Amino acid sequence: MLRTATLATIALFALPAALAQAPKQGGTIRVAINSDIRSTAVGISRDANTDGVMMHIVEGLVGYREDGTTAPMLAESVATSADGKTYTFKLRSNVKFHNGAPMTSADAVASLKKWLDPATKWLCLADFDGSKGVKIESVEAPDATTVVVKTSKAEALFLTNLAALHCGQTAVLHRDSWNPDGTMKMPIATGPYKMGEWKRGEFIEIDAFREYASKPGKVDGYAGAKMPHADKVRWIVIKDDAAARAALVKGQIDILPGLSQSELADMGKPADIVVKSATTMGVYGILIQTKDPVMSNPKLRKALAHALDLKPLAEIASGGVGVANASVVPVVSSYHSAAQKKGYGFDPAKVKQLLAEAGYKGEPLKMLTNRRYPTMYDMAVMVQGMAKKAGINIELEVLDWPTQLDRYQKGNYQLSAFGYSARVDPAMSYEAMLGDKAKSPRKVWDNPQAIALYDEAMVIADKAKRQEIFDRMHAMMLEDAPMIVLFNPGDSNGMSRKVEGYQPWPLSRERLFGVWRNN
Amino acid sequence: MAVPTLLIVAVVVFTLMRMVAGDPAQLMLGDLESPEALARLRKEMGLDQPIPVQFMIWLERALVGNFGVSIAQQRPVIGMLWSGFLVTASVVVPAVLIAALVAVPLGMLAAWKQNTRTDAAIVGLSIVFLSLPSFWLGLLFLLFLGVKADLFPIVGYVSPRENFVEGIRYLVMPVMTLALIETGVLIRMARSSTIEVLRLEYITHARAKGLSEPQVALRHALKNSFAPTWTLIGLVLGGLLGGAVVVETVFSLPGIGRLLVDSIFARDYPVVQGALLLVTALYVGVNLVVDLFYPVFDPRVRL
Repeated sequence: MLRTATLATIALFALPAALAQAPKQGGTIRVAINSDIRSTAVGISRDANTDGVMMHIVEGLVGYREDGTTAPMLAESVATSADGKTYTFKLRSNVKFHNGAPMTSADAVASLKKWLDPATKWLCLADFDGSKGVKIESVEAPDATTVVVKTSKAEALFLTNLAALHCGQTAVLHRDSWNPDGTMKMPIATGPYKMGEWKRGEFIEIDAFREYASKPGKVDGYAGAKMPHADKVRWIVIKDDAAARAALVKGQIDILPGLSQSELADMGKPADIVVKSATTMGVYGILIQTKDPVMSNPKLRKALAHALDLKPLAEIASGGVGVANASVVPVVSSYHSAAQKKGYGFDPAKVKQLLAEAGYKGEPLKMLTNRRYPTMYDMAVMVQGMAKKAGINIELEVLDWPTQLDRYQKGNYQLSAFGYSARVDPAMSYEAMLGDKAKSPRKVWDNPQAIALYDEAMVIADKAKRQEIFDRMHAMMLEDAPMIVLFNPGDSNGMSRKVEGYQPWPLSRERLFGVWRNN
Repeated sequence: MAVPTLLIVAVVVFTLMRMVAGDPAQLMLGDLESPEALARLRKEMGLDQPIPVQFMIWLERALVGNFGVSIAQQRPVIGMLWSGFLVTASVVVPAVLIAALVAVPLGMLAAWKQNTRTDAAIVGLSIVFLSLPSFWLGLLFLLFLGVKADLFPIVGYVSPRENFVEGIRYLVMPVMTLALIETGVLIRMARSSTIEVLRLEYITHARAKGLSEPQVALRHALKNSFAPTWTLIGLVLGGLLGGAVVVETVFSLPGIGRLLVDSIFARDYPVVQGALLLVTALYVGVNLVVDLFYPVFDPRVRL
């Protein structure tokens, strides 16, 4: 009797919790987007917004986990040969395309070959055709559930590159996705959602694929479970921030990406709206042109670095969601070791000493920034203020983003308040910054020893050895000071309390699978 | 004059866009590291050709109505411009019509009651209206009519051709925003031109004949005083049809103004070139129509 009563009591308390957690099926989740997607041609014509939408539709053999590491997605498992040149993908058995056709190894092989065809104009072709190093030499299907890819040489980032979002995750697409002329018609893929209605400049809608065979377990980046609870997801194009916030308050949208806690406070903290945030793998900092006559002096560069107090700078510039970090390796990366935590340190006395040694006489230094990305602008203003306090005279030159990007490409700046988009592996971050400036003016750091270490990191797969390489590179970068890394920005999203299951994550892109709306 | 104007605009726009820093191919890639992809994209976009060659190719196609394909959206520019123009026109034309219907009588009333409280009130109102920034007024409407009163949707657009009632609901606030501001502009012109006409002898003669004030106003004063206002309406309409970009941004309307601004930031050369040519053509066309109808109001003017 007592036992029954106890069990009943436990059930009574557990039931509401259990009911509250159970996802609701159906309905439409509405998300604000600040500009229309470019196209549905994943990996061919894209930008960040396009990737965010299309990653609900397409899937590749591998995908990124929550922590940025690469895991099997359409593959059940991936085996790498001892020489690192052969990859054997065992496919999951119950996967269907959006048109109902079962996915087989023949489809995976055909898709890979299509991506490797220059006529497809895949943006990531250079990563796999030998231009940058590794070349896919053959793609075969020895049986209906196996794909074997052979490469010209071992590369640590081969699977990581396959899973890249801007590459469309090297999606496996049904052959009917392509026009006879080789261009992409509409991706018929395997994702939890399929393309719905798209009204240019107004909204993009995706529809749940009810035959989607989700992996078991929980949502894990783009490589875990992906249940399509909502019938539809609609991204509504809203250019104006104030209009977007009004739409959120009124309930015309459910999720507003980019809304911070401070902005929610400005809105009067409506009771039915909440902000969720996560630290991302983006890297924000000040690029320094080491070929500039003034900035070529390492003492001046280090003086500037020591003049900056990273913690308050990161807090204010990122709206409270970023994390101070002096390393190119993001704090959320599994490679962010104790050695990576070392930075310059805020040291006014050292600044004075270095400025005197550098012979700096207060001449103005020009720093580029833009208004399109408020975090970059706020970061520039903070840096200017802190530098001024230390006796370093920085003038801001505010440009539109295309112009600043152009100046970055040409290396035409003294200082530039810049942000790199999230890269899941430290080698990818260093790839963006490291290289011969004479050949590539956009490169920030041209230390030959660092370049040699990077080349090593691209080949070695062993994590411990790679960690050692990255730790050494970080120390070298601190010494050379070609860039002052300041923080990893955050990704914050305002949403209605009716939305459940939504979680921001280090790669920033919103994920609407595993999300539902309580009406 | 229209043809030389369009040709000059074509050259100026093409040249200026190429002079502005920023590469549409690079914008597409962002900070991603891929010189090979960049070179390939530039080649596909024709950006690897010398600029005079790019201009001649574009001009040759533009002369037959082919403005090329958008770099950002890979769609024919002409289709994008037409869609954008329809949205803009659905806001601008009703707004200017409402503004004219309100402003002309109010302006005439203010002139008739010159130096009275009525005149002061109308002039004061017009100054307030034309001083209001359109984005601020639009946001006020969003807040009070959209959020608090929940009368109209905040964002989005439904074409009245698809659903008339719903389409009108989406247009009310943007149309009101534009109409209020333009009413302020037109009241001033209507008032001053009516004051000019009221000083003329034939108005005194009309009154002396025993005509009532409304008869004097409608039969004698209106036609003559309306001509300058008509010209201003043409200028306003032509200018707004080129894109009421602020209103389109605040209310998330996919009009031609927003398309133009977005394309400038994306360095989408074909769209910018096509849009500016269209804007110029609209401005020239509207003002041509205004000039053609001018003699209706003022027979002294001959074409």
